[in-house]
Amino acid sequence: MREIINPDLYVNLKQFGAKEWNDCYQCGNCTAICSLTESKLLFPRKPIRFLQMGLKNELEACLEPWMCYYCGECSEKCPRDANPGELMMILRRYLTAAYDWIGLARRIYSSKTWEFVLIFILSALVLLLFIFFHGPLTTELTPEGGVQLNVFAPANIIHIGDMIMAGLLSFFLLSNIFNMYLKTIRRKNIKVPFKLYIKELWLLIFNFAFQWKFRKCDARFYWIIHLLLVSGYVTLFVIIVGFLTWFQTDQIFEWWHPQRIIGYYATITLLLGVIYFIIGRIKKSGERSKYSHISDWTFLVMLFLTILSGILVHIFRITGLPMLTYVMYVLHLMVLTPMLMIEVPFSKWSHLAYRPFAIYFSNIIKSTIRTENSPSECT
Amino acid sequence: MEGIRIGVFICWCGTNIARIVDIEAVTKEAEDFPNVVISKNYKYLCSDPGQDLIIQDIRDHNLNRVVVAACSPNIHEKTFRKVLEKAEINGYFLEIVNIREQVSWVHDDGDEATRKATALIRAAVFRVKHHEALFKRTVNIIPTTLIIGGGISGINAALEIADAGRDVFLVEKKNKLGGIAANLDLSYPYMTNMGDMLDPLIDRVLSHLHITLFLGSEIKYILGYIGNFETTVYSGNNKQTEIVFGNVIIATGLKPFDPGNIEEYGYGKFPNVFTSLEFERILKSGKITTREGKDPGNITIIHCVGSRNERFHEYCSHTCCMTALKYAYQIKSELPYANVFDIYSDMRSFGKGCEEFYTKVSRKNVRFFLFNQENGLPKIVKGGDHSDCDMLVELDEKITGKKIGIPTDMVILMVGMEAHGDARDIAHLAGISTCKNNFFIEKHPKLDPVATSTDGVYIIGSCQGPKDISESIAQARAAAARILGVVSQGYVPVEPITAEVNEDICCGCKTCLKVCPYTAIRYDLVKKVSYVNEILCKGCGTCSSACSTGAIRCKHFTDKQILSQIEGLFSTSIEV
Repeated sequence: MREIINPDLYVNLKQFGAKEWNDCYQCGNCTAICSLTESKLLFPRKPIRFLQMGLKNELEACLEPWMCYYCGECSEKCPRDANPGELMMILRRYLTAAYDWIGLARRIYSSKTWEFVLIFILSALVLLLFIFFHGPLTTELTPEGGVQLNVFAPANIIHIGDMIMAGLLSFFLLSNIFNMYLKTIRRKNIKVPFKLYIKELWLLIFNFAFQWKFRKCDARFYWIIHLLLVSGYVTLFVIIVGFLTWFQTDQIFEWWHPQRIIGYYATITLLLGVIYFIIGRIKKSGERSKYSHISDWTFLVMLFLTILSGILVHIFRITGLPMLTYVMYVLHLMVLTPMLMIEVPFSKWSHLAYRPFAIYFSNIIKSTIRTENSPSECT
Repeated sequence: MEGIRIGVFICWCGTNIARIVDIEAVTKEAEDFPNVVISKNYKYLCSDPGQDLIIQDIRDHNLNRVVVAACSPNIHEKTFRKVLEKAEINGYFLEIVNIREQVSWVHDDGDEATRKATALIRAAVFRVKHHEALFKRTVNIIPTTLIIGGGISGINAALEIADAGRDVFLVEKKNKLGGIAANLDLSYPYMTNMGDMLDPLIDRVLSHLHITLFLGSEIKYILGYIGNFETTVYSGNNKQTEIVFGNVIIATGLKPFDPGNIEEYGYGKFPNVFTSLEFERILKSGKITTREGKDPGNITIIHCVGSRNERFHEYCSHTCCMTALKYAYQIKSELPYANVFDIYSDMRSFGKGCEEFYTKVSRKNVRFFLFNQENGLPKIVKGGDHSDCDMLVELDEKITGKKIGIPTDMVILMVGMEAHGDARDIAHLAGISTCKNNFFIEKHPKLDPVATSTDGVYIIGSCQGPKDISESIAQARAAAARILGVVSQGYVPVEPITAEVNEDICCGCKTCLKVCPYTAIRYDLVKKVSYVNEILCKGCGTCSSACSTGAIRCKHFTDKQILSQIEGLFSTSIEV
C-alpha cells in the first residue's frame, strides 16, 4: 500500500508544542544511546522520520513514543539539537489526541481557552450541584469535636457521583484504547491468536502497577518518586470510588487507624511527587523538565490544589471548623472533578493507561510476528 | 661491434631488490657478458653518491654504453640519462632493466628471481650496444592562442592570456558569450548573482585589444603542431578567416542531459515538470509560478536525473546536488510556506562552503527523501483523487522502506551534464582522445589535468568532465599559465624518439596514416610516400609494427635493437 504523505502533518504537531520538527538528519545517535529501544521498537529515530515525511497513518501506528520515559540523554547527545526526547513527549500528546475519537483532546492540547473553559464548566457544575442539593449547614459538632461533614454532604450520595464519574472516565478511556488498538494492531493486518491476548495480559497489569520499563530508563530516582506518586494516586482512587462511605466518616479515629494511616500515606506520597515535579519544571532541571507545555502545568497545579484542599478539609474537620470545612470540601471537589474528567481520558493523565497498553500491544505484535516468521526462518 | 664498452650497474634499492635477488651473483655473472667492461652494485644508485659512482666509472673505464638494473624506467630513466650527459656521453646510450617491479616485487623464490634478473640484464647488454645517439630539438612558438568555446572557462582563459599582452582568437559557436553560466540566476554556495559576475567579464572580452572574437563561428580542422598551428574560422555569411597560432585551448563545455526519454519522469507530458535549466529561467524571471501562473504549494526536486545510473550515465554530474540545495533555498526564501521535497540518492555537498550550505538549507524545513537508484526511479503520475495537486511522485523511500506518494504542483529535474554530440569530431580535429562518456582525456588525471596527449592542446572546463564554475575557472587559468610560460620562452623541446620513413622502401599504402593516433603521418602526393611530422609523433611505434614493407623505423626501438634484446634474453640457460 502506497501512503500519500501529508505535507502539513508538522503543522498539527506544532499545536502540541513542537517548535522545530525537521532538524533531525537521521544519524541515529538518539536510538543508539537509548537504553529502552529494541530492534522491533526503534525510537526516537523512526517516529521522527515518519513525522518528517508526513506519514500520518504510520506515525499513529507507532507505539514507540509510549516506551520513552524521557531521561533526555538523546537530546543531550543529538548533534543537531533536534530535541528527540522532547519530540517523543510531543508525539505522546499527539497520539493521545489521535486515539481520542471525540476530538476533545486535540482541542484541549491546542487551545488554552478550550482547556480552561472546560475546567470552568465542570467546576461550575459541581458548585451548582452543591448550591442546590447540599444538606443542612449544621454547626453542631460531633462528641469528639469534629465537623458533621456527612450531614452537609452524605458519603453515600457523593459516592453515587463518584461512581457516575468513574463510569464516564472508563467509557472514554476504554473507547480511546479501543481506537488505539484499531490504529496499531488492527492496522498491521496480522492474525493475532486470541490466547496471546490472555497470555500477555499480566504484562499490562504488571506495568500499570510498577512501570517496570521506567526502571530501565537511566533515571532510577525519578522512577521511585513516580512509583510512590502512582501508589498514592491508585490508593486514593480505589478508596474514593469503591469505599467512600468507609473513608468519609464524621467519627474521628485514632491516628493509627487504617483509615487515617492509608489517607496520610497517599497524601504524603502524592504531595512529595507533585512538589518534586513542580520544582523540577520551575528549575528546568534536566532535559525532561526543560520544556513545559501548558498541559503539563495545568495537570501539576490542579493535582497540587486537589491535595492541598483535601488536607485542609481534613484539618478543618477534626479541629471543628464547620463552615470552613464545607467551603473547602466544595472547592476540593471543584478541582478534583475537572482534573479527573479532563486529564485522565483526554490529556496528560491518560498515559496511565496508554503506556501499559502500548507495552501490552507491542508484545502481542512481536510474539505474533515471531510465531509467523519462525517456520520460514527454519527453512 | 668494435669499441663498445658497457658498464652494468645494479641497484639494491635498499632491501627492495636485494631481499630477493642475489645481487652479488648477478653482478659477477654480468662481468662475463659480451662487451661488458665493468659490473658493479650499489645500495641506492639514484642517490647522489650512486650517480657519482656511475659518472666516475664512465670516465675511469672510458665506457660508452650503460645498463642500469633498478626500478621502473618510469621513475628514473630521465635521472640516469642526465647522469650519462654529465659524463659527456649521449643520454640514449642507456638501457634500464626493471628488476624491482618486474622481478623482486613479484617473485617469492630467490633463485628464480636471480635467474630472471640475470637474463634481463643480459638482454639489455645485447640491446644497448645497438643504441644510437639521439638529439633533442626545439620548436619555435607562435605567441597567439586559439580558444574554442566562449563559456565561462573560455572567457577566463582568454582574459588571462590577453591581460598578459598576448593575442587570443576566441571562437564561439553561438551568437553570444557566457555559455551555460549565462543562463544561471544565482551561484552556490554564497548566492552571488551570476550576471553580476559574468557581465563585466564579457564586457572586457568584447573590448579587449588582444582578443579577436568570432561569434557564431566554427572551425572544421586544425593543422600543424605545437607552436605552429593553422586553421580557418568559418563565420556567418560564408566569411572565412585564416589564422595561425601556437597553442589551442578547447573549452567547448557541456550539454544538459535530456530527460525526455526517462519515461518515469513524464517530462514533456506534464507541463509542470521542469529541467533545472528551465527552472533557472523561472528564477531569473523573478517569480516562481507554475505554467498556469499559480504559486506552487508543493515543489519536488529530483536529483541524479541521467546521472549515476547504468541506464543513462554511470558518472556523477558533480554540481546538481548543490544546485538542488540552492533551489530549495531560493524557493523557501520566496515562498516560505511552500513545501520543498528533495528526492536524492546521496547528497554530495563537497567543496568549500558547500557542506555548510547544506546544513543551512536543511534547517529551512526542506523535506529530504532518499531513494535507491537500483530499486528504480521515482515515478511521476497524475494526482488523481488523493490530493488537490496535479501530480503525485511515487517513491520507495529508502530510510523507512515505505512506498509513498508525494503530492506535488511542480517538479524540478536535476539534469546531469553530458558531452556534446560532436565531441568526438572536436577531439579528432584537435588530435586528442575521448573517454567512454565522450569527455576529453587529459594527459594525466592527477599530475597534468589540463594538458592533453597532443602538445599545445589544452582542455578546460566541463568538456573534460562535469565541473562547477570555480573549478572551470581554475582550469582556465591553469591552462593560460601553461601557455604563457611556453610563449614567453619562445620555444619547446621535442622528444627525439620518433618514427621515420625510409622513402626508398615505402610503397605508399597509407596504412600508417590510418593507425597513427596522433595524426602525425601525412602522405606526400609528389613522392607518393608517407612522411612523419616529428613534432607530432610520440614514438608509440604503432606505424612501424603496422608497416607491411618495414619502411617505418621507430628510433630507439629499431628491429635490430629489439631482436638483439630477445637474443640476449634466450642465450642464457633458462631452465623451463
